[in-house]
Parts: sequence; C-alpha cells; structure tokens
Amino acid sequence: MSDQGPSQISEFIQGEKEPESSSVVLVLGVVSALSFLVLYGVLYPGREMPVVSELLPMFEGVFDSGIWFFLLGAMLGVFAIIGTMLTEATSE
Amino acid sequence: MNAIIPTLAIFWLLMIISFILMKRGLSIFNDVAKGMGMFMLEKALGPAIDFVQGKPGSASRTWIMHGMIWTMVASILTFEGLWLSHDPTALHSLGAWGYSPDSQELLYAGRFAGVFGAAAMMIIGAGLHVIPALSGTNLASESNATLVSGLWTLSVLILVIGAHSKEILGVDVMVIGTALQSLALLAIIMNQLLTISNATRPIAVPGWLIIFGLIGDPIAVLSVILSGAYETGVGQWLVYHMIGGTFLFCGIAGVSLYASSMASGNPLWSRTLVGFTLFGALIAINPLGSTDTTMAADMLGLQASEISSSTQDHISGSFLMALAAIPIIAYSSNLLVTLRGKDAFVENADSPGIAEMNMGALLLVPIAIGALFVQTDALGGVGELSAISETLDLLGLWAVLIPLSLGTSLYVLPQVSGRKVLSVSRSRAAFWLMSGGAIAGLTFTIMADLNDMALVEALAENPSSITEELRILGSVTFYGTVLGSIFHCTNVISGQFRGEKLAEEVESSTTLSPHTYELASSTSVRRILASGATLDTEVTPVSQSEESGSATEL
Repeated sequence: MSDQGPSQISEFIQGEKEPESSSVVLVLGVVSALSFLVLYGVLYPGREMPVVSELLPMFEGVFDSGIWFFLLGAMLGVFAIIGTMLTEATSE
Repeated sequence: MNAIIPTLAIFWLLMIISFILMKRGLSIFNDVAKGMGMFMLEKALGPAIDFVQGKPGSASRTWIMHGMIWTMVASILTFEGLWLSHDPTALHSLGAWGYSPDSQELLYAGRFAGVFGAAAMMIIGAGLHVIPALSGTNLASESNATLVSGLWTLSVLILVIGAHSKEILGVDVMVIGTALQSLALLAIIMNQLLTISNATRPIAVPGWLIIFGLIGDPIAVLSVILSGAYETGVGQWLVYHMIGGTFLFCGIAGVSLYASSMASGNPLWSRTLVGFTLFGALIAINPLGSTDTTMAADMLGLQASEISSSTQDHISGSFLMALAAIPIIAYSSNLLVTLRGKDAFVENADSPGIAEMNMGALLLVPIAIGALFVQTDALGGVGELSAISETLDLLGLWAVLIPLSLGTSLYVLPQVSGRKVLSVSRSRAAFWLMSGGAIAGLTFTIMADLNDMALVEALAENPSSITEELRILGSVTFYGTVLGSIFHCTNVISGQFRGEKLAEEVESSTTLSPHTYELASSTSVRRILASGATLDTEVTPVSQSEESGSATEL
C-alpha cells in the first residue's frame, strides 16, 4: 500500500449532516461541567464560586423579576433568527 | 347626531362607484391612466427602484417574510404586556435606559405590530400572489411592491414607538406612521388595479374580496371624514370597525379561501357563499375588535372621544353588527368544508398552513359572537362588558386573524419562492405552541377579567388572589406563542435556502377548473385530480403518432 500523502485532498471537506454521536459529546460535556460544579461545592463548602460570584452582583436589581427568564429565551430566539439568516445566506 | 347610517351610505356609494369604475374603466382615459400609473410606480421613483429585484414572486415573498418577523415582535410585546398586568415593576430596570413601559403601552404596541405588521403584511403579501394568479397575468410592478414593503415596515415601527410615546419632540409620530402607511397602501392598490386591468380571464370572487379589502381602508376613512362624524366617539368606533370589516376581514377571507382550495387540492365549496361573504362584509359592521377607539383616533391624529350613541345609532349599529353573522358564518363554513373536500384529498392534509387556517376558521364564529355582545353593550353606553373587550380583541387577533394569515402565508411562500419550509414537523410543533399558547393564555386572562368584573360588581374592597394567579398563568402560557412564532421564523428562513424544491408546478382544482382533460397515456385518478380536474371534467383520449420525430422547421 503506497503512501500518497495529503496532496490527494486539495480542499477542506465538511459534512452536511451532524453525526448523532456529536450530540452525545455535547451532553457529556454539559454533564461533566455540572458534576464539577457539584464537586466544587462538596470540596470547598461555603466558598463562593471564583469569577461567577464576582459577576453576579452586577446584575442585582436588573434581572429581579421572573420575566427575565422568559425574555432571555425570546432573546435567544431573536439571535437564532439573525444567526439563521446570516449562516444560511453565507453558507452557499 | 346620527352618524352610522349617513357614514355607511357614503361608504356604500363610494364602493359602488369604485366597482363600476373597475369594471368599465375610464373610457378614453384608460391608456393614459395606466401609463401614468406605471410611471408613478417605477420611473418616478428614480434610482430607488433599482435597489430591489423585480423577479416574479419577490414582492409577495418580501411582504410575507416581514410579516413573519412582525409576528414574533408582536408576540413578545403582547407577552410582556400580559406579564406587566400582574407584575407592573418587572421591567423597571430598563428605566436606566429611559424605557419604562407599562402593561397598556406594551399591549397597545403589540396590537399595532400584530394587526399592521403581522396580519396586514401577510395578507397583502399573499394577495400579491393571489391576484396575478387569478387574473392569469403577472403583477404590474414587482419592484415597486417589493420596495414599499420597507416603507410599510417603517410605518409599523413608527406606530409601535408611537404606542409608547405619542409625541416625540412635539411631533405626533402616530400621524407620520399613518401617512407613510397610507402611501404604501396607495402604491399596492395602484399595483393591484393595474394587474387586474391586464387580466386574461374573469377574476374569481376571492380576488374581488382582496381588491375590496384593499380599497375599503381608504374609502372608510374618506366616508367618515365626508360625513363629519370623525370627531365623535361613534364615528371613530365606526371607522375602526369598517376598516376591520373590509381591509382585514375581506382581505383575509380572499387570500385564505384561495389558499384553502389550492393547499387542499379541493375545489372551493360554494361560490354563492363567497359572494355572501363579500356582500355581507361590505353591508354589515364587523363586531371583531376592541371597544376602545383610541387606535383609530390616534392614527388619524384626533382626540379619542367617548362613545355616546343616539337611539337610532344604537339600533342601526346593533342590527348591522348582528347582520355580520351572515358573512362570518358563510366564510367560516366555506373554508372548513373546502379544506375537508369530498373525500378526495389530493394534497397532503398535514401541509404547513392547513392546521392554522382550520383553527382560525373554527374559532372565528364563537369569538365573533362574543365580540357582538361586547360591542352592542359598548355602543349602548352600558359598558358592563368593557373589561373583557381588550382581551377578547387579543383573542381575535391571536386565535383568528394571525393563524388565518399565517396559514395562508405558509401555503403561498413556497409557491412564490420555489422552496418548501425546512421541516414539516417543526412547523406542526410551532402551530401547537402558538395556538395552545394563545388560546389557553388568553382564556386564563379573560377568566381573570371576569373575576375582576364580579369583584367590582360585589363592591369588594380587596382584590382576589385568584385573579393574580390567573393572570400569571395566562402570561406564562402565552409564552408558547412567542416560542411558536420564533420556530416558524427559523423554519421558514432556513426553508428559503435549504428547503425541498417544489416539483414541477401543478395546478390544483379551484372554481376555475378545466372543462376537459386530454389523456395521452395511462395515468392515475390522483394525477388527474391533482392537475385541477373535478368530477365534472370531461376526460378526452388523445391519440399519439408512432412516427419518429424530426426537427421543427422554422
């Protein structure tokens, strides 16, 4: 078997569909992150989270109503629409 | 002062004159008027017209896409308005940016975005496809229709801002928004009239519904100005309902009846009922809408007046509103039966849009009956039911008007763009979210309104906790509508790029079904029906020559 090297593939190739296992990887990542957060609470009880605990007070008095959870979802939706427009228009 | 009958008499007269002029033309001035019209639509705009493409279907697509974006904006504004009705300080942090809206302002802005942004843009967009299709010709000026969609969107944006603050730097922004919208509407009316003047076949009645819907808006305003009733509460109430009955009701009836037939593959059930819908909508007063006339007064730059009707106005208004049951039931039943057909469902029953049209037509009759009671009560000056008027108006908007216009648009958009939505299942999920959120959320809110009314009647001093809980439940449930509208938007936008391409254009059956079908080779009954044939179409065998072909001599 001869080694023809990378010169055979002249351009970047990308699949059009996502493999099912890619979402498994994402879920694993999220679960791991949450597990580490829980572990932090167990190992250092009573201690504030680094960085996050310094950022959260900035939003006190701003997001103090339940409506912001819903508006955050709506904002994500709006950005999803803008993102869809941009990616669809530039993908071809 | 009696306002209703004199104003309506002027309105009917102007509509009859318009119809005669459309049918007979302007005699020797026809060619001059057409030439002038085309000049005004294209050349007179100078370089601006070159900014947009004039491809067939581009205007319809642009209007519908704008309408879908406005649907999302309207749903967010309405959700915020419903939330702030039980938690008035929820958005107080935005005050740091100079924006501190209350519930009424947000609901008012949501109504402008929903009626003129979402529903009206989708109705006009669908009409830009339907009228040329029924006339057997192309739209007179695709470029102009595409261009004025931007102007209309700008006007809606100004109206939404004006709903929060009517005057900015001493300028009445609502009047500016109305003026821009009138300009865009005038361009669309000219475009559609020029299109039907080039018609190659008689236009089916749904087409006339769209045309009368378009011209009904300015004629309603003109009528109330000519009768001098524009400064009275009854006059403002009347012009609000005349525009609702013509521009919105006739418009949505025209485009959705066409779409129901084409999307289901069934012929329109009854031409007589379409005629009744058209005639009844022009004669009667449509009860759908709010009892508050502020919207009409603000748009015309007037001071909103209290409704204080004379006995004659009360009797004639109530009678004409009750008469509106005829066109409403005729339209609803015609659309529902057309969708179901005669057991010969040629197209896919699960196609995007059909479920929305079905739901809108189903809910139209009960909501119209509820609105009839509320409006009659308000016109009589009693006002006992005025507490539920605003929520009932929202229910009419989100459970009837927007589903019907959205359903029609979901059928029309693939026809004009050549691509279907990205995913049928996502479209179905968006339908359930939107319809479930709107019906359940606004029903809970109406229950809270009724509870408030009962407490006021009982002279209770403390508000009930049930009312607040119902309002919380109503606003949270309405969030489904926000999610549904976002899903619809992403699905449609992605579909424009990656959606399945429409197969070769197939003409489905309508009232203009072919008399004969030439059968050259063996085929299935499904294929014959899908080509537009009905049970009355005559199938004619055509013999084929076995001789070998040769080049055509020029």
